[in-house]
Parts: sequence; C-alpha cells; structure tokens
Amino acid sequence: MPIQLLLTLGLLASLWYASTQRVAPRAATLAFTAIVAVGIYFVWLPDHATVVAGWLGVGRGTDLLIYLWILITLFVGVNLHLKIQAVRENITELTRAVALASARDPEERHPGGGAAQDEGPE
Amino acid sequence: MTSVADSPTGPRVAIAVVVVPAFNEERAIGDVVRGLRAHGHRVVVVDDGSSDGTREEALRAGAVTIRHPVNRGQGAALQTGILHGLRLGARYLVTFDADGQHEAGDIDALLRSLEESGADVALGSRFLGQARDIGRGRRILLRCATVFTNWTSGVRLTDAHNGLRAMTAEAARVIRIRQDGMAHASEIVQQLRAHGLRHVEVPVTVYYTAYSRSKGQSGFAALSVLYNLLVGRIR
Repeated sequence: MPIQLLLTLGLLASLWYASTQRVAPRAATLAFTAIVAVGIYFVWLPDHATVVAGWLGVGRGTDLLIYLWILITLFVGVNLHLKIQAVRENITELTRAVALASARDPEERHPGGGAAQDEGPE
Repeated sequence: MTSVADSPTGPRVAIAVVVVPAFNEERAIGDVVRGLRAHGHRVVVVDDGSSDGTREEALRAGAVTIRHPVNRGQGAALQTGILHGLRLGARYLVTFDADGQHEAGDIDALLRSLEESGADVALGSRFLGQARDIGRGRRILLRCATVFTNWTSGVRLTDAHNGLRAMTAEAARVIRIRQDGMAHASEIVQQLRAHGLRHVEVPVTVYYTAYSRSKGQSGFAALSVLYNLLVGRIR
C-alpha cells in the first residue's frame, strides 16, 4: 500500500508541475494528463495491466510497462536532443552576430589617428 | 598571384580573403598571419573564444580579427570568417588552419586553379601533394575519412578533410556550414554536391610538426564527427 501512495503522489506532483508550465501546447498537456491517469489506474489495479498486455501479445503487465517505458524514454531522448541542437544553433548565431559586430581591423584608423578600438565583449 | 596587390583598384580591395579559425593558438598564429601577409593576402582571424592571447597576436601580426565571445567550434568560426570576408568584398575566400600546418605559398595555386578551371571550389589535397612527417595512424585515419565522405557525399576526392580550400564568393554565399565542430569538413563536401558546385583538387603540402600534432584532433574525435554527421542527417 505505501508504494501505491508514493507512486500516486509522484504522478500527481508531476502533473501539477506540468500544469504550471504554460508553454506546452494543449495537445501535449492532454496527452500527459492521460498518461498520468493511466499510470495511477495501473498502480492501483496492476492485474488490469496484465489483461491489457495479453491483448497486445505481451505476457505480463510488468513487461508491457517496461516496453512502454523504453519507448517513452527514446522519444524523450530524441526530443531533448533536437531541442539542445536548436539551442546550440541559436547560441552560434548569437555568437556570430556579436563577433561580426566587433571586428577589429589593424589598418582601419579612427579620425583621431588611433587604431580601431574594439567595443565588443572580451 | 597575390590576392591584394593584383587588384586593379588598389591594395585595399581584397581579391582573396584568407579565413583562419583559431582557438588558443597564441604560439602559432602570429607566424601564420605574417606568412600569409608576406604573400600579399588579406587575413581574417576568427578567435573562437580563446582564453589566451590569440586575438592580440593576430592583430599585432596585421590580421583583421573577429572574436567569438564563447567557443563554438571550428566549423562555426569558419562560417563567421567567411561571412566577414564576403562583407569585405572578397572575390575569393580561402580557409587556412591556424596551427602552421599549411603552406601560404599554396594559396596562389588554389586561386589560379579556380580562375583557370572555372570551378567554384578548389580543395587542397595533401595526398596529391605532400604530407610531411605524417604518422602512419593519421594517414590511415584520413584515408578512411575520405572514403566515408566520398561515399556519403557522392563526390570523389583524394583528401576530404584538408583545412586549406579556396572558393568563389558565389560559392561562399551558397555554402552554409551548420556543423559547428569538426564535421564541417565532410559537410562542405556534401554541400558541393547538393548545390551543384564544381570543384577541383589541388596538390598542397601539409606539415606535421610536434605543435600541430598536439593541437590536432585525436583519432577518437573521428567518432564524434561521425555521430554529428549522422545526427545532422535526421535534423
């Protein structure tokens, strides 16, 4: 019984956290809510997971959950990777813009006669 | 042929701009820039977020310098330098390593071959030319890399990962390096095919010194390049 309570609390807490993140699209919020609901259902009625597993050609409910877990982890991994890649590209674009704005040419001179000074970040 | 003095409008118009990406190269960059300038080239050094005096050394040696506030990798630095070269009005863009591996005198041959052949990109080849003091392991690794790049790009080259290249301004505007790290070398070759750019290979000399070896990529880096190229495909 204590583990069921713990898992339910954990799932509800993650749902609460997700609901405070307003950036997620509506479909993602709905999907996440559904996953949490299904999770809580199987936490309390694990035998039902075995029934569903039987329909899908998997022997035990536990195995079905492991397979689903692997799928979800892969999906999250790829998604995260793509996001990080996009962030890296943005950082490069920003870095480039800053760099190009602070080019220094030793042959260019200000009207005062001094060499061009860099005002860009160091 | 020198890239600045030959200009009909005077030395301030750069026919060719040599882009040198540099990360913590304060020991070598000064000599590299002076060598290039001695051949009449306009030099743009992209200091890729170095923590040493790379930029100051490059400036002192007479290069235009650009500084990435944070390190982004050689591919990113090349793209930045190429964009700046285009802003300077370069007719040709040359890429050149900062560790003293390349011979400044080879640039003229690259530019000449672009003019004579009408190609868009001239790629230096150490295997058509000379790879001085190259280790056996490095030779094998580069051969494998070339086979891989030829296979994935459909372009036939003898040396796909040479940092010494020249391209016309038109080609430089079309090529867009998105691989920030070392995978850009294969990416450039892949883009030759994708954009229908004509290329020639030109024999060049690459010197392997204790310094260039210490700055060079380890064999393991090849694995990360491979990974980036494969992932780049699914993006």
